[in-house]
Amino acid sequence: MTEDLRSSLLVVDDEEALLAVMRVTLEAAGYRVREATQGRAALGEVALSSPDAIILDLKLPDLSGVEVLRALRSICRTPVLVLSVLKDEATKVAALDAGADDYITKPFGREELLARLRTLLRRANAVASDRPLRFGPLEVDLATQWVGRQGRQIKLSATEFQLLRLLVVNADRIVTHRTILAELWGPRAEGRVHYVRTYMAKLRLKLGEEFDAAGYLQSESGIGYRLVSRPGEAGEARP
Amino acid sequence: MKTTHRQYGEIVSVLALITAAGCLWPRQYDIFGEIYLLAVFALSLRVGRLAALFAAVASAVGWNYFMLPPAFAFAPLRPGQTLLIGIYFLAAVIGGQLAAARVGRERARLLARSEELHQALFNGLAHEIKTPLAVLRSALDEMRARGGEPSPALLVESGRAVARLDHVVENLINHTRLESGVLQPKMDWCDPLDLIRSARRSQADRLGLRAIDVRVPPGLPLFFADAALMEQVIANLLLNAALYTPPAAAIAVEGGSDAPNRKVFVRVRDSGPGIPPELQERLFQRFVRGAGVRAGGLGLGLAVARSFMRAQGGELTLASAPGRGAAFTAWLPAPELTDLPP
Repeated sequence: MTEDLRSSLLVVDDEEALLAVMRVTLEAAGYRVREATQGRAALGEVALSSPDAIILDLKLPDLSGVEVLRALRSICRTPVLVLSVLKDEATKVAALDAGADDYITKPFGREELLARLRTLLRRANAVASDRPLRFGPLEVDLATQWVGRQGRQIKLSATEFQLLRLLVVNADRIVTHRTILAELWGPRAEGRVHYVRTYMAKLRLKLGEEFDAAGYLQSESGIGYRLVSRPGEAGEARP
Repeated sequence: MKTTHRQYGEIVSVLALITAAGCLWPRQYDIFGEIYLLAVFALSLRVGRLAALFAAVASAVGWNYFMLPPAFAFAPLRPGQTLLIGIYFLAAVIGGQLAAARVGRERARLLARSEELHQALFNGLAHEIKTPLAVLRSALDEMRARGGEPSPALLVESGRAVARLDHVVENLINHTRLESGVLQPKMDWCDPLDLIRSARRSQADRLGLRAIDVRVPPGLPLFFADAALMEQVIANLLLNAALYTPPAAAIAVEGGSDAPNRKVFVRVRDSGPGIPPELQERLFQRFVRGAGVRAGGLGLGLAVARSFMRAQGGELTLASAPGRGAAFTAWLPAPELTDLPP
């Protein structure tokens, strides 16, 4: 938590009331908070104070969320959590493709916001680990390509392992259908979401009932998949 | 009433029939004069004013030219015959007026119905939004009066009020999207198990501790649907099952396929009190709510769910008998998946 105490956040939203409430919540959770109400001001603020993470509303008076994200990604890799109203999948996918790390739908709960932020910052600080990773009953060792359950190996096909690897490397983050298709089958598979669905169903079957029922693998309707490292944590509940 | 080509076609064919009959019995020209009158009046009740006048002119010309002796030439009119032709025009005008009045009444009835619906929406809305707002406001006031001291009971109630407001707004936005025709389903391949799970997760707060049995057979094909719409449909059905049945009643969600009819489905089944037959079809209408409602609601959930299914080329049906629970089934055409992944 000492890491969190020093983390600084930039919150970008044109709703003053929401800014005020988020400031109270985030400062109480130990973050340093800076604010911006417009896209251009936000970009200036990033260059000036280089925050550890950015919370970005997709609807701003001057620039669109995607424009801000593109400009941001041309200057830094700071993790970005986007805020959006409505379950507008197209906007969310556009934001994720433009470089956002995660999204949260308004109205969101305090626990959910803080959990997403923790995940974002943890990932930013993470060092590549050679040790096997655990997801409930599942053990994954990316270095040796070993996947098992209670010490017993689960045999995966090359494509199934690639899919699992993609999810593990991006644990707790959304991997969009588009990313999965491009990584596994290349550009000619663009738009063929049923490839993803078919392999995800196969993978799920092989990983076992226990792992599946615990909710480690979450589908985000119309957007992608997320491998959750701690299902049941408050941040896991979707808006 | 607007005059269309189809209406002129109708007039010409009716009058041609009468004229043909008149040519077969040329001696009965007096009777045919009256048959023309009847035809003009009957037609003018169905067509626009201009077309009615056209029918009167055509009848007068047809009667005179084809039937009044000498046939196949224009004959000078006797006073009685002039009067009858005058009456053609009178009949056309009167019929036209009656038709216009009927259209006016129909329009007024539709307007009244739409006003009624808006009134129902407005009343429901006022109640559904004002009630949780009232809860929030008095909870805040109370906590302020206690010098900012929070109370567990007030916090629980505030949380419920917010969840309720959120649900009302969500359904209202969906309803408006459908009404305005903005809704364009984005069809793609979905795993039915994913759909059921994300619907359940999205309603986790409101479903509380209700046990829900999920069953999807392993070989079930992928669905071709709009994932977000399907999730909302299943969520609405789950929420209904939870709200309209006693806490002990079992809820089950199953995916399946009806191969002979080339359909796939997701079914939400409960073991609650069931729905009386007379209420079953009405339940899908807007602003109609089931009996014994504990929680509030706008009565939009099922209407929205059915429209979402129809927008995807599917359907939402209900099977229920009093005392034997209810089963809502969201149907989709069975997809044909030929392009298998490498």
